[in-house]
Order: sequence, then C-alpha cells, then structure tokens
Amino acid sequence: MGPEGSKPKTVICRCEDVTVEEIRKLIEKGYQTPDEIKRLSRCGMGQCQGRTCRNLVLQEIGAATGREGKDIPMSTFRPPTKPVKLGLYARARAEHEGGDDR
Amino acid sequence: MTMADVIVIGGGPAGLSAATTAAAHGARVILVDEQAIPGGQLSKQIHKFFGSREHLAGTRGFAIGRRLLEDALAAGVDVRLGRAAYAAYPGTGGEFEVAVYGGDAATGGSRAARLRGRRLIVATGASENPLAFPGWTLPGVMGAGAVQTLVNVHRVRPGRRALMVGSGNVGLIVTYQLLQAGVDVAALVEAMPRIGGYLVHAGKVRRAGVPILLGQTVLEASGDGRVERAVVARLDERGQAVLGSERSFDVDTICLAVGLSPWLELLLILGVRTAYIPALGGHVPLHDRDLQTSVPGLYVAGDVAGVEEASVALEEGRLAGMAAAESLGRGDRVALARAKLEVAARLDGLRGGPFGAARREAKARQVNELSGAPPLSPAAAAGPESVPASRADGRAGIPGRPRPVAVIECYQQIPCNPCETACPRGAITIGSPITNLPKLDVDACTGCGLCLTACPGQAIFLVDRSGETATVTFPYEYLPAPEVGRRVTAVDAEGRPVGEAAVTSARMTRKTNRTWAVTVTVPHAYAGVVRGMLRPRR
Repeated sequence: MGPEGSKPKTVICRCEDVTVEEIRKLIEKGYQTPDEIKRLSRCGMGQCQGRTCRNLVLQEIGAATGREGKDIPMSTFRPPTKPVKLGLYARARAEHEGGDDR
Repeated sequence: MTMADVIVIGGGPAGLSAATTAAAHGARVILVDEQAIPGGQLSKQIHKFFGSREHLAGTRGFAIGRRLLEDALAAGVDVRLGRAAYAAYPGTGGEFEVAVYGGDAATGGSRAARLRGRRLIVATGASENPLAFPGWTLPGVMGAGAVQTLVNVHRVRPGRRALMVGSGNVGLIVTYQLLQAGVDVAALVEAMPRIGGYLVHAGKVRRAGVPILLGQTVLEASGDGRVERAVVARLDERGQAVLGSERSFDVDTICLAVGLSPWLELLLILGVRTAYIPALGGHVPLHDRDLQTSVPGLYVAGDVAGVEEASVALEEGRLAGMAAAESLGRGDRVALARAKLEVAARLDGLRGGPFGAARREAKARQVNELSGAPPLSPAAAAGPESVPASRADGRAGIPGRPRPVAVIECYQQIPCNPCETACPRGAITIGSPITNLPKLDVDACTGCGLCLTACPGQAIFLVDRSGETATVTFPYEYLPAPEVGRRVTAVDAEGRPVGEAAVTSARMTRKTNRTWAVTVTVPHAYAGVVRGMLRPRR
C-alpha cells in the first residue's frame, strides 16, 4: 500500500464501474451468490458480460464466506454471449419466418 | 437453413482437428470462429511447441494454426472465419441451432445467420483470469494474451520495462517473448513458493537474467494516468502480504498471467452438467470418454473441456471428431475404434509424469462423475519430481574427446520428444511414455547439434573440450543477430555473467527454424557453466 493517502478504490467491473468495496459490502449484507450481486450492483451486466469480473466476484464470495469454489453457484447465462447490435435481432426476426428467436 | 452433420464452434487446435477428423470420416462439417486468423491462441504463439510428431512439436504455434486450417480445408470442412457464435439452442429433432454473426467487416460484422447441425462440438477455449489490485485498471496493466496480440501479431511493443505476474507456462513464455521484442522485464513474480510452468521455459528467462521472485505478488500499481511503478511484496504462508517487505519497481507495463478459465457460456445455455475442478481451471463440463457432454450429441474438446496444453487440445479434437462421426454412423467402425484407442493412449501419455498427474486424476473424475462410476483412487503415479542429483556439470563434454557432445539439461518429466526424433544417429532415447527424460548415448553422439535447435525448451547445449580452449554452443533467438568474431559476455544458466567470450560460429538454417546455434570459445573450466550470452544492447 502507498505510505500516504487513502487506499485507492479497486474497480472490478470496468463496464459498469463497480468497485471491490461495493461488492464486499453486499456480501456482508448477505448477498452471497453471483446472481444476487449481479442484480443489485450490475456487476457483470455490461459490454463484456462479466468475462473479467465473474471470477473476481467468485473469489470475493469465497474469501468472505470461506466457501470453496464448488459450493458457490454460477450465475445464469443467456444468449447473446457476445455483444451484438439490437438490429441484428430485429433483422433476424424479419428474415426468419415466424421470427422464433427464443 | 442448411443442415450440417457436425457444427464446430472454435477454430483453435481442438476445433480445427475435430472438424478435420469428423470430415475425414465422412461427415459434413461447418466450423465457425470469431477471429479472421485461424488457430485460436496458436495464431499468437511464436515459440516452438512441445509434444511429439503427432502434435507438430518443434513447429512454431502460428505455423501449426495455418497447417491445421489447410488440413481442415483439404478434408472438405466448410470453414467460416470471422463469424462469432453468440447463441446456441437445442433444435426440435435433437439437433442444434447456432446463431452466428460477422463476416462483413464493412457493416461492423452485423450479418447474422443460423446454422443447424445434428451434432455440435464446442471448442471455445478459455479466457484469462484477472487479478484485481489497486491501480490494476491503469493503462499499462494487461493480460498475457493482450501482450501476445500486440507483440506477436501486430508487432507493437507494449512498453519499455515490464513486470510479469505468474510463472505458469504462459507467464514464462510471454516473458521470453517480451525480451525478444526488446522489452526489459524487471522481474517475474509468482505467489506460490514454486515455479508453475516447465523448468525449461523458466531456464530461458533465467539465462536472460530475469529474476523469478517466488512467494511474492503485486500489491499495487500507480502512476499519473498510466502505470509508472508496481509495488511487490512477499506473502506469508496464509497468502497475506508481509508488512515491510514491499519493494517498488519502475515499470510501465504489468502483465498478468494468472491462469485461464474454460469459456463455458454456450455450454451452460445448452444445459450441460458441470463440476468444479480447480486443476482444470474451475468449472468444467462433465463429459464421457468420447468427450460427449450430459447433453446427447453435444461434444467438447480442448481448453473448454478443462484447461490443458495445445497438444492435448489437438488430441481431444480428434477424439470428439471421431466420436461425433461415429455416432452419425459415418466412418468404418473397426478403424474408428482402433483410432480412438490410439488417441486415448496418446492423451494418457501427455498427462503422464508429475506435471500431468493432477490433470489425469481430474479428468478421470470429470468422466466418472458423468457415468456415475465411483471416483478413481488418487493416481499413485504422482510421486515427487525426479531431479537427478548429479546435474550436467559432471558430464558436460568429455575431456580429450575429439568432438563436441550434446549436454541435455532436461530434468522434468514433460511430454516432449523432438530431440529423439531430431537425432540422425538415434543417440537420444525417450521412448514411451513421452514424459520420460531423454537419455543420451554419449558414444553415438556426433555433436552435430540438430537436437539443440529442435528442442523447444532450448535445454540442449553442445560442449567441445577437445581443443586448447573449450567451446559451448547454445540456442539463441534474440535480435540483433549474433555476429561471428564479436566479443560477448558469456552467462551461466541463471543469466549471471561468467566472463568474456568470442563468438566463433552462428548458424541458422531452414532446418533450425529461426533459432541460431551460437558457438562461443571459453576456457575449459567454464565449459560446464556457460549456457548463453548477454544480449547486446540495441
């Protein structure tokens, strides 16, 4: 740590600008699954869809609760798994009969 | 919408070999990859690969990627590069639907398409693990993959002086590549008390004089708008930083190489069962011996099935490709059964030795958990790593012998055998399993040096004690090119200067594949010590 001044904040979700301090507070309040933390903080809901912060959140939950990786549930995944433009869905709907895009 | 027999997602070593193999057995295969360059991570790899002939060992990574693409095209695979799969759905008749976009750079890659396949092989690889510390979001902190993209693909130097975090093979290899690109590496820090990757990779970094700091980690990065320094501290046995042990390094780049996690998103959307197995990178899909997941018709191969090596990915791809073709009734049953056994045996070999033991056990667990069989007892093969007590010095060149002789400083049981294949005299034996240490028949060795440039680990040297002064020949892959007649500073295996030496030969041929064999003249007393030279400053 730097000898002087306050400890700088550590961002763990760059897309949504969420700090590790905010995550720790949520865990302290009892939100101890990635899905709960995601919904409350938007951590992992940005452009990269949690590809960077996902493991960091798991680590924080593990460190605070003493739970092992195998005991922490993964968050739910839904398409699209890559950032795509809305127009892509709109066009796909128009192009495919019935527009079944589940 | 066209219906393929097999859709493969991912054009790395696993995906390409899966597609080629399935097509070779008569399946109609479509492969998609989001990158325009084939080979996945291979496309960024400029070092010579480990393994055996079946894994194109000794070939540089990017060349392996190109070869695999050629093979896939020759086998009739419909390869679609620059297409990202962003969703996958189960179809109504047991088939799979994959949504892809891309392929049209002009419109920002927004062309969409749906593919349908009776079988799906997911070979999406793994993503890099992050490490959060104060200042880690400053420009100048980057993952090892980003460094490789900059340096090896775009030929852009990421900075002038770097700190590497992580001593697995990725951290060691990328440190070496930073050095090759002309970046100083101030230190390599590793939180664990031991080096994570192969010692031969560590050896290259050490010979270049980069200190490897074990039991230490980066605490903080700081600087005005970008990284200017990094604070490193020792860790106690509970993994806490030891107060007062902080040390500051003036660096403009911090490279993170702290492991990989399988990229599971598409598999999770399709509902595969997973297990948490740290030895394989965390959450991994369960699969059977044919690499079929809990979802019938859905296969995995390569790092997404558990993080291992490119050689393993190649073999897993072959296995998944064969299994998928077989399940469709393609190919010759007897031939397929035999080929699958051969691949399984080679996979076993690649997971042999102390390095592979944890992965071998983990793989058994992954397979058995799906089939419901009781877990296997821990592999007894693990054993302590064998490092011969008498290091090379005792047999480094033989006084009075009229010619040079190879000195093999390879002390770890890693799956690799290009030295055995390279020796025209059959003087080097590894045999089976491939993790055996090489044995040199000193009498049969002519000192030709072919093994020296074939060894991907750069762990073979030639020592000639026949003359008035001795000579040492070592592999060398830095610029500027070594010049005959030049006075250089010879270094030992740790990169410590030993003394002045003259370069008497620097050979690079097509066969050495961009590795020089540099010979320096040294006093006899130093022949067992000198293992390289300082890179001349540009």
